[in-house]
Amino acid sequence: MTEKIYTKEEWIKALSGLKSFYNIFVPVRDGDFHTFKALDEKKIPDFNFQNTRLSPKSLVYPQSERIFAYTLDEDTPDANIIKESEKDYSPKAVVGIRPCDAHAFQIVRPNFDNPEYQDPWWIQRYESTTLVGLGCNAPGSTCFCTSVGGGPFSEKGLDALLYDLGDTFLIKALTEKGEAFLENAQGGKEADDAALKAGEDLAAKAANKIEQKISIDKLKDKVQTELFDAPFWDDVAFACINCGTCTYLCPTCWCFDIQDEVLEKQGDRIRNWDSCMFPLFTLHGSGHNPRAKKVQRVRQRFMHKLKYYVDKYNNGVQCSGCGRCVRNCPANIDIREVCELMNRL
Amino acid sequence: MGIEPGRLHFSWISSAEATKYVDVAREVAKEVKALGPAKHFIKKRAEVA
Amino acid sequence: MLEYVEKIRKTAGKLFEEDKVDVFIGYKKGSLPMMNQPVLISNADQVDLLHWDSNCGLNLCNYLTKRTDRIGIVANGCNSRNIVTHITENQISRDQLYIVGIPCKGMIDHRAVQRAVKQKEILAIEEQGNTFTVKGKDFEDTFNKNDYLQRNCLVCTHRNPVIFDEMVAPPVEEQIEVDTYKDVKQIEGMDPEKKWNFFTRIIDKCIRCYACRNACPLCYCPTCFVDESNPQWVGKSSDPIDTMTFHILRAYHCAGRCTDCGACERVCPVGIPMRQFTKKLNKDAQELFSWEAGLTLDQRPLLDVFQPDDYNDFIR
Repeated sequence: MTEKIYTKEEWIKALSGLKSFYNIFVPVRDGDFHTFKALDEKKIPDFNFQNTRLSPKSLVYPQSERIFAYTLDEDTPDANIIKESEKDYSPKAVVGIRPCDAHAFQIVRPNFDNPEYQDPWWIQRYESTTLVGLGCNAPGSTCFCTSVGGGPFSEKGLDALLYDLGDTFLIKALTEKGEAFLENAQGGKEADDAALKAGEDLAAKAANKIEQKISIDKLKDKVQTELFDAPFWDDVAFACINCGTCTYLCPTCWCFDIQDEVLEKQGDRIRNWDSCMFPLFTLHGSGHNPRAKKVQRVRQRFMHKLKYYVDKYNNGVQCSGCGRCVRNCPANIDIREVCELMNRL
Repeated sequence: MGIEPGRLHFSWISSAEATKYVDVAREVAKEVKALGPAKHFIKKRAEVA
Repeated sequence: MLEYVEKIRKTAGKLFEEDKVDVFIGYKKGSLPMMNQPVLISNADQVDLLHWDSNCGLNLCNYLTKRTDRIGIVANGCNSRNIVTHITENQISRDQLYIVGIPCKGMIDHRAVQRAVKQKEILAIEEQGNTFTVKGKDFEDTFNKNDYLQRNCLVCTHRNPVIFDEMVAPPVEEQIEVDTYKDVKQIEGMDPEKKWNFFTRIIDKCIRCYACRNACPLCYCPTCFVDESNPQWVGKSSDPIDTMTFHILRAYHCAGRCTDCGACERVCPVGIPMRQFTKKLNKDAQELFSWEAGLTLDQRPLLDVFQPDDYNDFIR
C-alpha cells in the first residue's frame, strides 16, 4: 500500500486537486467549534483541532433526508404512487476524520447492512465515501477510544490515515479506496523509513496519553434483566433533562423516525434522526407509551449501547469513545461513570 | 422577528359583536393585501438532504 | 461563592435530622471542569455531595415539577423566581418546599472561558473569590470572574432570592443601572428584513435537540407542541422554517414567565444565543405591563390578568 509524505502546504494543494474526483469534506473552524464542511475557496481546512462538535455521521446519514416523494394530484397518471427520491452518491472523501469517528461507522454498520436488512441509502452513501483519518497526537481528557476497541491511530474503518509529523503529513493508504484516493492526489513524495518510524513513534506515544480507561469486560456476561433492574438508574437519570444532545452528537446513535409531509398535493416521506431521550420516540398509536418516564429513557440509552448491542452483534459496545456526550451533556451525565456502574454490578 | 408591521393584528371581539367582527376582518384583509404576499416564515417543501 | 458550600451542607443535614424534608435538591461537583450536576439526596449521610460554585448553571426548579414529597432546595435569584412561577402555576406548593436562599454573584460563561484559552482543553478550574484559575496541560490562566460572567448574569438585577426559608449568607449588592436590553434595542432598530435575517442566522446551527426547551423550568407541558403528532403543529425535519417555528413558539410560551436564568443558552450544544428571542418578550412585559416574572407570590401571572389601563385600545 502507498505511503507518502506531504508538506502541509502541498497537502492543501493536493486536496484542491482532488476536488475534481471527490466532494471533499474537511474540518473547518465555525465559531467556537469545528465542523466538517465541503472544501471550497472560502473555507480553510483546519487540521489543528481536537474533534468536531458534531460527529461526521451526517455525511453518510443526514439528520433529515427525503427518501420517497409522491403526488396526490389525481389528474396525473402517477397519482398516489410512491417513488424513491434521487440521491447524490457521487464520490465523497472525508479528510481529517478522527479514528474514533471512522470506527463508529464500523460499529453502526451491522444495523444498516446485515444479512437480513440492507438500508440502501446508508449503504450507498457509505460505499461512495472515502474516509481519510487523522491520527490524534494529543487525545483529549474525555477520550476513551482505547477502552472500546479503538485508538488514537486506530485504522478501523479508515481507508487512509494521516500522521501529523509537524511540518509534514505522512499518509498511509489502508484499503483499495484509500489507494485510489492517493493515486489521484498530486504532489508529495514516497515516504522514507525515517518518516514511517516517526509515524510509529507518534502513534505509540499517543496511545499512552489516553488516561481514561473504562472497563467493559464484564458487560457481556451480565444478565440483561439484572442490569435493567439495577438500583442505580434513578440516581443516574435524576439530573438528565432528556434532550437529544447526547444522541445527536453521538457518532454511533442511528435511530430514526419516518414522517410524511404533505404540502398541497406534493407528498414527501422524510427520514429524520430520532432520539430515545424523547417521549415521542416510543409513543404508540394507542396513546400508550412504554417509556413514558425519564428514567426508562435514560436506561434505554445506556442499555442499548452497553448491553443490547453487545449481546446482539458480538462486536463490542456501541460506543467509539469519542467523548462528545461527556463533554456536551448539559447535565453532566457521564457514560464513563454509568459504564463503570454497569460493569461492576 | 421579521414579520412586517400590519401583517399581524390583534383584536378583542365579543361573540355578540358580529358587526365589529366583520369590520375587523375587512380591515385586516385590506391591510394585509396592501402588503402583498409574505416573504418569510412560509413552509415550503422541506429543505432536506 | 465557595464559602456557601459548608453552610449548604449543614443546612441540608439539619433539615434531614429535624425531618423537615424528604429529599434535598442541590448541585454536586461534576466530572468535568465548569460543569456541576443537579443532585437529589435523600438522607443526611449524603450531604457532603452538595456543592456550590460559579458553575451551577442548570435551573434546579426544573426538577421540582409535580413532585409530591417535601423538598429542600437551594435557590439563587433567578432559580427562586422560577420557584415562585412554579408555585403560581400550581406545579409545586409552597408548603412542600424549604428554600435555602443563595445570594448569587453570577455564573461563569464556560464558552467565554474556552475562547479566552483559545479552545485549549481545560482540565481544572479553581475559584478564588473574584478570580478564577483554569489549568490545562501546558497552560494556566487566572481571570477576573466579572469579565467572564454569563451574559444573563451581567444584566441580572435580582441576584438575591425573592423567596426563601433561610439564607446561606447576607444578601449581595444588586447590580443597578445595568442596560438590560441593550441588545434587544439594537434588534428593534432593524427593519423587518434585517430582523428576519438576524434570527435566521442565529439559529442556523440548530440541531433540534431541544436542550434549550428541556433545560427550561417553564417547559413542563406533558406533551410539548413539537411532540404533538395529531394534529402536527411543526415538522420534525431539519427544515429551517420548522426550526424557526420551534424557536419562536418556544419563546412565546415563555412570555411573561421567563426569569432570564440563562439555562437555555448555557446548555445549547451549538451555542445559539436563544435569549435574543425571550429577552424581547421580557422587555415588552416590563415596559408595557411593568411586569417581571416571579417576583412575588401575591401577583397573578401577567397573561392571567386584565388591566383596564392596558396600552392597547382594542382590549379596553
